[in-house]
Amino acid sequence: MSGRRGGNTIRGPRSALTDFLAANNISAQQIRDDYQRRRQEGEEDAGEGASAQAPQQDDDEALAVAAQAEEDEKQTKKRKRNEKDAIDKIKKAKASKGGKGKKKAKRGDPDLDDDDGEEYEDEFNKKARPAPGQFEHCEVCSKRFTVTPYSKEGSDGGLLCTPCGKEFTKDLKKEQKAAQKQPVSRKRRKMESEKLDGVAAGGAKSLVQLCINRIAQHHDDVEELGDLPENLLDRLSAIFSKKRVMKSKTLPLFLRPDLDAVIVHDAAYLEEEDYQQIFAVCPNMRKLALSNTCQFKDASVDYMLERCHNLQHIQLYAANLVTEEMWHRLFQEAGSKLHTIKLKWLDAAFEDDVVAEMAECCPDLERLKLKLCRRLGEPAVEHIATMKNLKHLSLQIGNSVSNDTLIDLVTKRGSKLSTLSLDKFIDADNEVLQAIHDNCKRLSKLRFSENDTVSDAGFAALFTNWSNPPLTFVDVNSTRDVDNNNPTGPEEVIGVGSSGFKALMAHSGPALKHLDVASCRFIELSAFIDVFNGAQTYPALEYINISFCNKVDTSVTAGIFKSCPSLKQLVAFGCFDVQDVVVPRSIALIGVPRAQDAIEQFGVGIGVEEAIGRMVEKANITAH
Amino acid sequence: MNDLTEYVTLISSDDFSYVVLRSTACISPIIRRMLDPSNGFMEASTNTVHFDNINGIVLEKVCEYFYYNEKNKDAKDVADPDFPTELCLELLMAADYLDV
Repeated sequence: MSGRRGGNTIRGPRSALTDFLAANNISAQQIRDDYQRRRQEGEEDAGEGASAQAPQQDDDEALAVAAQAEEDEKQTKKRKRNEKDAIDKIKKAKASKGGKGKKKAKRGDPDLDDDDGEEYEDEFNKKARPAPGQFEHCEVCSKRFTVTPYSKEGSDGGLLCTPCGKEFTKDLKKEQKAAQKQPVSRKRRKMESEKLDGVAAGGAKSLVQLCINRIAQHHDDVEELGDLPENLLDRLSAIFSKKRVMKSKTLPLFLRPDLDAVIVHDAAYLEEEDYQQIFAVCPNMRKLALSNTCQFKDASVDYMLERCHNLQHIQLYAANLVTEEMWHRLFQEAGSKLHTIKLKWLDAAFEDDVVAEMAECCPDLERLKLKLCRRLGEPAVEHIATMKNLKHLSLQIGNSVSNDTLIDLVTKRGSKLSTLSLDKFIDADNEVLQAIHDNCKRLSKLRFSENDTVSDAGFAALFTNWSNPPLTFVDVNSTRDVDNNNPTGPEEVIGVGSSGFKALMAHSGPALKHLDVASCRFIELSAFIDVFNGAQTYPALEYINISFCNKVDTSVTAGIFKSCPSLKQLVAFGCFDVQDVVVPRSIALIGVPRAQDAIEQFGVGIGVEEAIGRMVEKANITAH
Repeated sequence: MNDLTEYVTLISSDDFSYVVLRSTACISPIIRRMLDPSNGFMEASTNTVHFDNINGIVLEKVCEYFYYNEKNKDAKDVADPDFPTELCLELLMAADYLDV
């Protein structure tokens, strides 16, 4: 407003405001001239997309008032300078409200450099929005389009055409979503879930894990994974499956002609062409593992047999579209090289005859897992008993299998087995365990779960004076008597009880890594206290599951922390007597009921001794 | 063992060197073994480790992670660190090599 004109020639009626403006050296004429000039400039620039539309409102006085306000503001510049930082921040936050147009407008008027001035101009620019029906150039793509009431304003203040506008709002929403904080409850759930996955265990996550998560997050943008080693590829494949993004588009990332293995943990989205692609790209693979492979059909097996001649390891879960004949053919043609066969969830086909074929055609078979194959029954077990080179055997057979058959199996194959997993043979009895005791000399992994026939004495006999070296993996979950009318169980303890548990730990304690006694509800508190007494240590034990052993209390968990220096996870669902646990560093305690904030389930920077000390302290306080 | 320096130098394939606390570098078991005098590697005597397969940009992120890890050793609910997505794969390779 520096323009001081020699002769102000305004004639006619003058309002009080005009007088006031004149007295303060503000010239409405000049403001109008400047405004006209700016508008012309703006129109010239409109092609560039910078919308310098000035107000259509032509009222000198209104403009002058604005100018006056600025003039006043100027005097209080000091105050504003302080505010300026704050305002700048806000501006940055809503960067969507644009700057270019503003700056251009300002150029014509060097005095208009106040923040408030800018705000006023903002207002003007808003009003300058072209009316619906007019043509305008899109800020992003510079295309001409018809303005509608719904036209979006771009980040630089100009208008956007419909397609660009849609894109813009999409991006904006994405940003807002990312900025939103997750609610506390969800965060906690996520943490628990990561603990269950074994991903998080206090402290920072591993860098590998962080990278893998990030890649999974951006799975759409990954073009190639490069020469990642197979172990990483497998972890990536796992997380892609978990996030359900293992589809036709992402599958090629995991296929390389030099790979030994193709592992897809969730192949539910893969179709016939994808399977063709797998076998076409990786004909040299030795290991094929497809889970949820529900669209794996005869044609794919056929192509696999044609292409892949080095297969040694076949793992197919839920391949229910493969017919009986094709299973026969598979073992006839590829059987001679197979070392490992793992099949699960087969309902539609796969009869006992196929197992017979398998026994005949696969002389080198070392590892066999057959679980949840509905059509298999006793004859299958008989055929398995003839497989001479078996070292690892996992069975879960729905139809009833007589104990004699099982004993025959263990007697014939037991001596070479290092893994024996008998899941859900509910009627297997003490004699089966006796057969294991007598025949198995080199077991390292034993699973005998979901059974309500074997007695505590049977388990004790198995683990007493057993010439087998200590086991590393024992899973005897859900061996117990279940009878609603007799909740305390029969006189003779059924399932792993106190003596069985003590014998088990005495036998395998030194080497044991993984112990699962979930739902063995007849193990007494005294047995737990004896076993985990703090003096006796189990150096290798990393994982313990004592869920639903309802006698377990806080002192047992403290004893476990003390007796197991390598412990990583303690799973204790349904142990209601576990309260006020203080968990030492590097141990994840999972599933304790009533786990509110009072019970910190994560080891936070304290050692075992300190954790136990704190627990004792707490107990003393409550006792008083 | 008192003559262990407090800081060690990590040098990338393109000759960027990063001087970091020994304790943070030793978060990686590989580097720890390299720098352990009882193993008698040259790295231990010079307190310097050369990585021929990790470039400067990636190694910088790795060093940042070392410090992040050290800082959050005893914390829980740790916020994940940020790193540029385009480095992800290279970083993954490096992390796998360093076993962190």
